Amino acid sequence: HLQFNNKRLNANTLEPVSPLNVFMSRMRSDIPEKSESFMFPQDKVVPVGSNMTFCCIVKEKDDFKEMMYGRQEMSATRLSRRTYAITVTNQPASGNTGTNVICCSQRLTLTGAVVFVGYPPGDEGLVCETRDLASAECSWKKGRDTRLRMKRSRTKYTLNGRDCLEANERKTWWCSSKVWEESWTLVARNPLGTVQLTDSAQLTDRVHLLAPVNVTAVEVEAWSATLQWSWSVASYKKLEMVCQLQLFAHELSSTRNYSGPGLSSVVLESLRPDVDYTVTLRCGSKHSFWKWGNESAPFRIHTKMDRPDALDVWMWMDSSNTGRVFWKPLSVRKSHGALVGYEVSQSSAEEDGRTPVSLPPGNFSYPIILNNSSDITVAVAARNPAGLSHVTLHALSVISFPVDSQLSVSELLGTNGSFVLSWQPNVNASSGYAVEWVPTGCSGLCPVDWKKVPESDCSFTFLLISDSLVAGVRYTVSVYSLSTGALTLLQRWQGYSQEMIPSQSVSKLSPIQTGSDVLLSWKATAMEHQRGFIRGYTVYLANAAHLDLIANISDPEVQSYRVKGLSPSFYKFVVKAYTSAGEDAGSTVDIKIEMDTADMLFVGILVPLGIMFCCLILISICCYKKREWVKKAFYPEIPGPKVPGDWSSPQGPLDVKPSPHSLVHIVENPERDFTKEGLFLVPEEEEESENDNIEVDTDSDEPALLRYYNQVVGDGSHSNQVSDSSGSSTASVGSTQTEITYAGIQSPTSSQGACGGGGYRPQMQSVAGPAEPQIEFEADFQDDGLNTGYKPQCSWQLDSPEAENFSGSLGSPTSVTSSQFLIPESSEEKPQPSNTWFHNFLSGKS
Amino acid sequence: MEGAADSGRAAALARLLHRDCTRLLQLYKERESFLSQHAPGGERLVTLALCPEALSTGEQVGHVRSALRRCMGLLECLIVREVEEMGEELEGEYESLRKTVRDRLGHLLHSTGALLEEGEGGCPPSPPLQCTEGQDEVDGSDSFAAKRWTYRVLLELIHWTDSASQTLHLFHSEKHGQQQQQLL
Repeated sequence: HLQFNNKRLNANTLEPVSPLNVFMSRMRSDIPEKSESFMFPQDKVVPVGSNMTFCCIVKEKDDFKEMMYGRQEMSATRLSRRTYAITVTNQPASGNTGTNVICCSQRLTLTGAVVFVGYPPGDEGLVCETRDLASAECSWKKGRDTRLRMKRSRTKYTLNGRDCLEANERKTWWCSSKVWEESWTLVARNPLGTVQLTDSAQLTDRVHLLAPVNVTAVEVEAWSATLQWSWSVASYKKLEMVCQLQLFAHELSSTRNYSGPGLSSVVLESLRPDVDYTVTLRCGSKHSFWKWGNESAPFRIHTKMDRPDALDVWMWMDSSNTGRVFWKPLSVRKSHGALVGYEVSQSSAEEDGRTPVSLPPGNFSYPIILNNSSDITVAVAARNPAGLSHVTLHALSVISFPVDSQLSVSELLGTNGSFVLSWQPNVNASSGYAVEWVPTGCSGLCPVDWKKVPESDCSFTFLLISDSLVAGVRYTVSVYSLSTGALTLLQRWQGYSQEMIPSQSVSKLSPIQTGSDVLLSWKATAMEHQRGFIRGYTVYLANAAHLDLIANISDPEVQSYRVKGLSPSFYKFVVKAYTSAGEDAGSTVDIKIEMDTADMLFVGILVPLGIMFCCLILISICCYKKREWVKKAFYPEIPGPKVPGDWSSPQGPLDVKPSPHSLVHIVENPERDFTKEGLFLVPEEEEESENDNIEVDTDSDEPALLRYYNQVVGDGSHSNQVSDSSGSSTASVGSTQTEITYAGIQSPTSSQGACGGGGYRPQMQSVAGPAEPQIEFEADFQDDGLNTGYKPQCSWQLDSPEAENFSGSLGSPTSVTSSQFLIPESSEEKPQPSNTWFHNFLSGKS
Repeated sequence: MEGAADSGRAAALARLLHRDCTRLLQLYKERESFLSQHAPGGERLVTLALCPEALSTGEQVGHVRSALRRCMGLLECLIVREVEEMGEELEGEYESLRKTVRDRLGHLLHSTGALLEEGEGGCPPSPPLQCTEGQDEVDGSDSFAAKRWTYRVLLELIHWTDSASQTLHLFHSEKHGQQQQQLL
């Protein structure tokens, strides 16, 4: 029923301004009689984008400089002596007071003109309607701005041929008519064009009601109110109308529609007690609805209070005869007014009478003590100024299922901060079920929470989501079946809505060393610190910067671990308990592994001994393999003395004639009679006595005696005294296989030696070949020729700590390269220090 | 003491009005671009041929007041003409200050009139101004002529409010001196 027709007439009635015509008509002004400056055309109204020529006639004797269009300097053309012209193309829209075109000299503005550049009318969308069921109001949209502000160039409006005063004088875009006409024509005209708009409709189709007035509420109750209003137009009373009420309460809004002839009152149902409502009202014609009328001013309604709703009550027993009755606070929606308190009464089968207790509104629990009664009934009610709520009776049979009930408790896994519970329906659950959850191990005033679940035949899968569930807290969740006067515990779980890592590490972590093993033992942390089910333990060996996992114990009941095969060192062990959320920070224990006595004995004594033994074996094998070399190196073959004659004869003194090739240089004394005195064996006893008199012998005039000692190493018989000189010489001289050597051969005098000034020296290096000793010997003498006289063997005395006893070794075999007696007679009683022997042995000192 | 205070307030009001008129002309130049480069020529709109040359300061105040009355008439004609042409829909700073100047000029005329009634002589009142006077000087009542006329009216306002400020200051100084002498 929206029918209207708009017609727009696009008329450009402006004739183009011909510059030629203008000039022809105005050039006649350039006459001496009209000497003042002037410009034409003046105050022209032209459309945007048009071209235009302006002509300036300058005053006599005035100098012309330029012409300007707005702020733009233009190139002027001189048409005559006093006449100049510019042509402006594609003119933009003017400002509020038009565009100034001036003609100026060097200093002054000589003359000018104003041109108004704009658009023809752009109005559209004419719509006519009635507000009082008699007159008409027609409105339209302004459309594009014409940019023509001057009064004479503004758009003029006529409606059905009559001037539209509202639009022409008050610059609005509506016109009124005292009578309704079924067709309307609006003409909009300005100097640049004309627009014609039309509309046609029945009056009943264009009813636009005014706003209801005097809105008020009567009979405001807790749940309803009656709203009344009036109309400023009497003819509305017979109009079939529909009204719409909008209720705003607590940022919520609702819309209700009412209808009726001349509607002026409605009853608002389903309101809530003690609530502030804000009501707005608007109406429209029910038949041929055109649009909603104007909205009334907001009106405020405050409903009365009513008794609170019944409380949600629960009872929780923390022991066999003590417990608490809990109730949930009523929301504003259910309290129906500010609560002033609660009333709790308790009765048992033996005592029918109730003793109500009043509690302030901040209390939500009350202790219950059973006095030899198996069943009690607790009634809790809330009170507000309107009265007491419906009493909630809670019959208590849960005495059989206190929190420490032995009912099997299964583990419940939380999911994203909630629990998913499933249980089988119970035939006795006539009133549904109740799910209760409370922190495990809590005693006293515990944060008990519960939720009632309606009855159902099928198995339940209940998603428990509550703000009271705290992550990392173990809850005991119980499901009860509700029946009249009794509760039955169906199932009980323990679980965490969200597991976290333990807040404390394991306790009492201690190491016990057993040999090279360490037994780590610990205790689990308290339940309130576990914050999740302990799934096991991990044992780490702490190194400098990281932990090496050495064991992962997945059984939380196992709280010890043996670390085997540790070598003596310092160890740091870390034991961590872990939940599904991760490991705790861990407990650390240090231990220093020490070797036991047997091991220390083995390592400290037996091992070095074994090594030494092995070395000796190796040396022995090596020496055996290289025995030839060892013999040459340490025990070279001593050439035997070449004795002419028959040495087999035992009679007579041994005539020793030194061989020129003998290593032994024998100084002969021609005056000595070998039959009397010669080389003879000296008993050791005598040698010892004579040994002390060596110097004496040196100084004597007796011919030098070569004292010859021999001794067979390892043959004790040969070391004995031999009275038979032949036997003695045979054993000493003729042997090259024995380890016999000369030692201690000393010359009694140095001055009488055949070797000149050099004193006698021991054989330093006897390892040379048989032909060489003579040369070597002489060389030594030559070297020693620098020295004078006999020099005692200092090294002997220095190296031998028992030099005073060396005389006792005389006659013992000695090394060729050493003046030290290899096997002193008293070696068993007084062993020489090995280092000294070895040092001399290596250095070759005599 | 009261006369000196009145003359002081009148002098202060004249100074304030002079600043307003200067600002009003600045706004008009911003609106009409041609005034920013070359000022249009023309004769003075307000002359005081009816009043002989004032001798005393009080007579000079009356002289200036007569000129301000003439300016007031021109300003009212200006407002009527602009409102007629443009309507009252334009409410920019120029239109707002234009109204302020008219109101303050009225207050100044009232203040100076009160000063003159206290014993100082004044020029005879000028004949009422006809808004068509001086507007068709050159070539009729076209829009450009109206803009030039408006410019000249604003120049007259600046000139005579400045004269009024100086004269009233001098008048106030004399009044103050006389009262000081009377007190001594």
